[in-house]
Amino acid sequence: MKCKDFEYEFIVAPNEMTGDASEHLKICTGCQAFAAKHQAFEYQLAGVINSDVPSNLRDSLRKKRGGQATGRWRFPVMSMALAASIIMGVGLVSLKVFTNEHSNLPIDRLIVEHFNYDGERSHMATVEANPMTLVKLGENFGVRVKLADTVSFVEKCSIGDSYGLHLVYQHNNQPITLIYMPEIPLDEAVSFYYAGLKGWVKPMKKGSLAVLAGSTAELPKQERAKDIIEWL
Amino acid sequence: MQEKRKQLEYERLVLVYSDQLFRYALWLCHDKSMAEDLVQETCMRAWKSLDKLKDTSSSKAWLMTILRNEHARQYARYRPDMVDLNLDMLSLRDTNNDTSADAFALRQALNELADEYKEPLLLQVIVGLSCEEIASVCNLTKGATMTRLFRAKQKLREVLRPNEEQMES
Repeated sequence: MKCKDFEYEFIVAPNEMTGDASEHLKICTGCQAFAAKHQAFEYQLAGVINSDVPSNLRDSLRKKRGGQATGRWRFPVMSMALAASIIMGVGLVSLKVFTNEHSNLPIDRLIVEHFNYDGERSHMATVEANPMTLVKLGENFGVRVKLADTVSFVEKCSIGDSYGLHLVYQHNNQPITLIYMPEIPLDEAVSFYYAGLKGWVKPMKKGSLAVLAGSTAELPKQERAKDIIEWL
Repeated sequence: MQEKRKQLEYERLVLVYSDQLFRYALWLCHDKSMAEDLVQETCMRAWKSLDKLKDTSSSKAWLMTILRNEHARQYARYRPDMVDLNLDMLSLRDTNNDTSADAFALRQALNELADEYKEPLLLQVIVGLSCEEIASVCNLTKGATMTRLFRAKQKLREVLRPNEEQMES
């Protein structure tokens, strides 16, 4: 690949580099300098384009839809009461498996909501995090995390109404997020896939463990959960 | 689609994409209230046709297409009144709160960029769509999308080039 072709490809979509371009980048110092400079430009551009979002937008979108749905209900009051009781009954049964006592959100939504706030920042680190931080934070949660891959981010985070151990490790150049939530128990494992994210949450001896990553990443098998967390 | 599943899926979409929808809408409308209304309308339309969304991995491009169509349908006719407004006059704050001269120049250049170049760029930077997804949202070929992205970024880079040259000399 010629440098000009690489530059074109990198300018157009730095996140969609082909194999040829990646190979070229590894060996060409001129293009490495160009890529670093262009990345800085992309970062600056993103900062300028991305504006603040009204904090109540999400809630208003949810409420508005809920309100309109109710407005369209035209059954008699008795039928409404009966339907409501049935829906509540069914809802309670079906939600029991997926929700936790600390939050009304189903567990997968709780995780994605957390990732939505924290994910971008946690994925920015690609170099190894301080191993002592991981050990110390793990001790706070009464666990030791055993991973063969490089841990690039580790933090105590608030999730639902409790705290969790949020870490990111790099596997095959893809960031994989682990969130150990000691105070969020779960009855059975839940897998989820949407919005370019896939993952699973599994009940643990104490609390639960969530693993999630981009849709193309290779996730560890659920059975590996017990190998990742060791109890102190 | 079962009502409960539909509700859950809708909330997932809102949860994950509302910020990106708003930011994209804001660049289309240049007005916060209009952008919020546009996002509300988009979400209502998404709710109504959620059953048609078979592949959840394409939900991002699907939502952006709805927003774009909705904008064209409802707001395009008002655009002549809006294009002259400067984003800075509307006190928009970028996420970095970057007040440097470069950021100002970039903002200005973005405002002046022709829509055919600006739109693919916004979809890439705000929404993170791939070239192929942008092509499908904007009804373009992938090649044309790539060309427009390249030209848009080249144009914006030119704005910063005088400073770069000064620094280098």
